[in-house]
Amino acid sequence: MKTSAPLTPRERYEAVLRGDRPDFVPRIPIVMQFAAEHIGSNYGAFAADHRVLVEANIRCAEDFGFDQLSTISDPYRETAGFGAAIEFQRDGVPLCLQPPLELAPDLANLPRPDPAAAPRMRDRIDAVRAYRQRTGEHYSVLGWIEGPAAEAADLRGVSNFLMDLLDDPDYARALMARCVATGIDFARAQIAAGADTIGIGDAVASQVSPQVYAELILPFERELVAAVHAFGAHVRLHICGNITHLLPGLATLGVDILDVDHLVDLAAVRRAVGPGVTVAGNVDPVSCVMRGPAGRVQTAIAACARAAGGRYMINAGCEIPAATPADHLRALCTPLAPPA
Amino acid sequence: MSTLDLLGQAIAFGKSKDAKAFTQRALDEAVPAGEIVDRALVPAMAAVGERFKRNEIFVPEMLIAARAMKEAMALLEPHLVAAGITPKFTAVIGTVQGDLHDIGKNLVAILWRGANFRVVDLGTNVPPARFVAAAAEHRPHLVGLSALLTTTMPAMIETVRALRTGATASVKIMIGGAPITQQFCDEIGADGYAPDAGTAAERARALVEAAP
Repeated sequence: MKTSAPLTPRERYEAVLRGDRPDFVPRIPIVMQFAAEHIGSNYGAFAADHRVLVEANIRCAEDFGFDQLSTISDPYRETAGFGAAIEFQRDGVPLCLQPPLELAPDLANLPRPDPAAAPRMRDRIDAVRAYRQRTGEHYSVLGWIEGPAAEAADLRGVSNFLMDLLDDPDYARALMARCVATGIDFARAQIAAGADTIGIGDAVASQVSPQVYAELILPFERELVAAVHAFGAHVRLHICGNITHLLPGLATLGVDILDVDHLVDLAAVRRAVGPGVTVAGNVDPVSCVMRGPAGRVQTAIAACARAAGGRYMINAGCEIPAATPADHLRALCTPLAPPA
Repeated sequence: MSTLDLLGQAIAFGKSKDAKAFTQRALDEAVPAGEIVDRALVPAMAAVGERFKRNEIFVPEMLIAARAMKEAMALLEPHLVAAGITPKFTAVIGTVQGDLHDIGKNLVAILWRGANFRVVDLGTNVPPARFVAAAAEHRPHLVGLSALLTTTMPAMIETVRALRTGATASVKIMIGGAPITQQFCDEIGADGYAPDAGTAAERARALVEAAP
């Protein structure tokens, strides 16, 4: 009987993106505090020092069977580059002490960060480089940038930015244009360092109407996606929350992977994006993955794979909570035959 | 159209300057502050909540409506205090420990105020012990817990557990936030869940009115 060698994680991941059938479904969970604590460290160190982040993610990939190494840590890499003071917490998401444009919205005072010089942006580039130095081409390496709406909200404060979208759309556009320019610079630097995929997080977009999304945010997301593709990398878009109302717009973005939260029906996602986009997700990270039991996690992820059909990758709907028992994450990552 | 109708419309569409101007005009017309609240502000915010619930409007539209209501309330509050008008119910609300998001919590707080609650807002990143201390101090009819991040849902579990012990054990607890579901509410032993701010106001009234 003829057998073929198992694919490497990177080969498995690329196979799905090409539309080929892999040996089993790639696993691309998002781990942050969980990963830090898995190696006996803490979230603060994970966010502040790429050496901790890299060690934690590689260990998780080895111990649980991930196919992608991630550089996600928190939303404030670019925000720090734009001049915000960030305070690290031992066991929590870093704090942005004052959004730079919260009180003084004038864009003339906003610098254009240099990813190679801004310490927190350079730290992420160093993470990408370290992954390649330590693991070569074995894994997919995921760089990360904030989407236009997410970064604009980080700079202005979330409520201010959401009101700007209605009060002063021209200002909101100008701000997002600045965010996209920096996002493109940052993506280029991470791809040059070895990232094969750039993740874009644009959580705040889930809070706006389809009209506001289509008119104001989508054009900037599209510009980012096109730039990443022009640099030769894939795009994985993750928007936390329920994005069902945005699916018609999202389907036009041209992303390679749409990574969706647990509140979204994967069959509806597949109908919206068609067969050419890889869908990732979306088991409930708390009620299912964290609370288990392991058998329920396996049943749930198999159901997700069937609902998504076609090009599919395993992920929870969002980050794996720190308190998740290891055997539940192992269950999520148990090799699963690709869906039809 | 009456001044109160115009005020309600200004709030519903988030026109802050108009809301302020029509509130002042109503006061100048000697409409009692309590009546302005009951006949203009409350129905306007209830309508906003309904439209939000039906996905006809989204968070930005809610925010500008809330901002307009706040402008109106700033003018009305001294008159309400002078008239001795106080809310019928008390609620404590906050975003759970580890979570710094406040939009959902703020919107619920505004709609609860519109639903005749005095709202004690504990802010964001609130540890379970602070919820317990506030519940013991203010003896609220209701405690509201908000979480936007999936990763802070475990903090919600801890907070419900902490509130369910000792003197605060019988307080009604409502939870909400983007990743929260009715299933999660049932699992952790909260009394109520609302998928959106509009529903949160209705459920809050139903919960406290049903209480013995």
